[in-house]
Amino acid sequence: MKPLMLQGHTRAITQIRYNREGDLLFSCAKDTKPCVWYSINGERLGTYNGHNGAVWALDIDWQTTKVLTAAADNSARLWDCETGKQLFQWDTNNAVRTCGFSYSGDMIMFCTDRQMGYNPTLDIYDIRAGEQLANNAPLLSIPIEGPKVTSAVWGGLDEYIITGHESGEFSQFDVKSGERVRNVKIHSKQINDIQLNKDRTMFVSASKDTNAMLFDADSLDHLKTYKTERPVNSAAMSPRMDHVVLGGGQEAMQVTTTSTRIGKFDARFFHLIFEEEFGRVKGHFGPINSVAFHPDGKSYSSGGEDGYVRVHYFDPQYFEFEFEF
Amino acid sequence: MPSVEPDNKPSWADQVEDLDDDVDDVPTTSGSSKVDAHITLSDEELPPPEEVIDGDTKVITEYSINDEGKKVKIIRTYRVETRKASKTIARRKAWPKFGDSEYDGPGPNPSTTAICDDIFMTFVTNKEEALNDKEEDPMAKLKGTRIVQCRICKGDHWTTKCPYKDTLGPIQEELEKSDKPGEPGAAGAKGAEQAAPARAAGGKYVPPSLRGANRGPGESMAQRRDDQATIRVTNLSEDTRESDLQELFRPFGAISRIYLAKDKVTHQSKGFAFINFHRREDAARAITGVNGFGYDNLILNVEWARPSNQQ
Repeated sequence: MKPLMLQGHTRAITQIRYNREGDLLFSCAKDTKPCVWYSINGERLGTYNGHNGAVWALDIDWQTTKVLTAAADNSARLWDCETGKQLFQWDTNNAVRTCGFSYSGDMIMFCTDRQMGYNPTLDIYDIRAGEQLANNAPLLSIPIEGPKVTSAVWGGLDEYIITGHESGEFSQFDVKSGERVRNVKIHSKQINDIQLNKDRTMFVSASKDTNAMLFDADSLDHLKTYKTERPVNSAAMSPRMDHVVLGGGQEAMQVTTTSTRIGKFDARFFHLIFEEEFGRVKGHFGPINSVAFHPDGKSYSSGGEDGYVRVHYFDPQYFEFEFEF
Repeated sequence: MPSVEPDNKPSWADQVEDLDDDVDDVPTTSGSSKVDAHITLSDEELPPPEEVIDGDTKVITEYSINDEGKKVKIIRTYRVETRKASKTIARRKAWPKFGDSEYDGPGPNPSTTAICDDIFMTFVTNKEEALNDKEEDPMAKLKGTRIVQCRICKGDHWTTKCPYKDTLGPIQEELEKSDKPGEPGAAGAKGAEQAAPARAAGGKYVPPSLRGANRGPGESMAQRRDDQATIRVTNLSEDTRESDLQELFRPFGAISRIYLAKDKVTHQSKGFAFINFHRREDAARAITGVNGFGYDNLILNVEWARPSNQQ
């Protein structure tokens, strides 16, 4: 495959996301400008200018009309997807680490860090409700005691929010009541990324403890484990095949960037059920920070510490590959 | 409709052409005029970019000055593909660009988008088999080669006071060859030889003296006798060496072989050893002589070596 290399960012990529149809790829980085690209040919559509700090996370609603970004300048902002204009800004006490649109696109959540004496809080807003936005009065504000939230997603039917913490534990918060319904600790180190599968029944979590694990989204049952030797920064499930892709972290070996034009950091493909690695794709010059599958499963993208986003369209061999058992 | 990725774009090195030979003359003149010459050259001679659409192929030819001040022609070949997409996607494709891309032309901007070389997914299958093979091979190699060699008799022992270490060369070879990895004790090894035929890398000719079950009678007699002339010494201190044992047991008679059990990792003595005498009566005298003897603050235990689980 001939990957497209998107060079729009000057700093490390923090997250990449496809919109629901998959024709747009959004990327945010530690430089302050999230970018949006056409995934078919890598053409850049635009950038969202306005943040003053590293943008840690972003999300798009299902209609591809609004973009939500979470940044280290103590703000989360809502943008119009088509024009790049900022629609709204939430000011918080701390850097906002993670954000997400609900499945319905009507509610958003974001979560802050623990610094300067403030506890992290998980805020939920209904963006249809003008008063909430005007008065900075969230629908629900859940203070997080204990380890801070490093990654969060809306659960299956927008009934709860699944959060991954710095300690490796997961919590489920009920959206109506704000209570912590469930708590599971299986990972031993920080959860770097949580991504749901296509039908939102399961999620795969990537952790600094070099493992990625598959969980049931409702019950938080631990289903599978994918072991590597390096901290896993991001994991995603293919909507088409029974595959999981893992993007990894620090390597012990030295990278010689002068030897070839292709980098040595790789994304690893595991079989979802057999937990065995079956493929690797090299190319990045630095650890991979975020991976995402295209909604049709025929391509995937990875964003790295090197600031590049690489879009890969799979060869036919990928689809014909049969795992022998 | 979107214009898609350039097709079969050859390496840029093939594309770059050096157009103007006059540029070579310029360096001979003084610094400032060189600059002037470049400027005038570029003003008058740099043609505008051309775009040629031929069927479904679009060829864009651009001219520019590269880092060395040479004019280059860059040819980009695009394949124009028409794809059907849903209405919403098609509508999005028509959105005007914004933000930092506001002034970009249609199509990918080369400064933000690049096509990389072909890379392939490396498929990893059946790692276990590969691992097993790797583990076995080094061991096999080691067993075949000689690790130590005596200078005097070329036997498989350290030279230290050799007088053949009272061995016949073939006997030593047999011992090494049939010594399976991890099996402790010379007596055990010898027992194993008799039971299992010694065989070098499968299919090779094995001389009769080295064969296991079909060994010549002469050799087997020597073997059996040696077995019967083997004693086991236990309760040795950790820093006992073969040379110490040699000194200790030499007075009783000619020693055929000394095996001191050592930990494979730390090479410290495990505390026991097997001594093979040439004659049984020497072994018997050694037992009576050394059993109960105090050596390095430990009371040594000496007895007949029991053959290991071979028949």
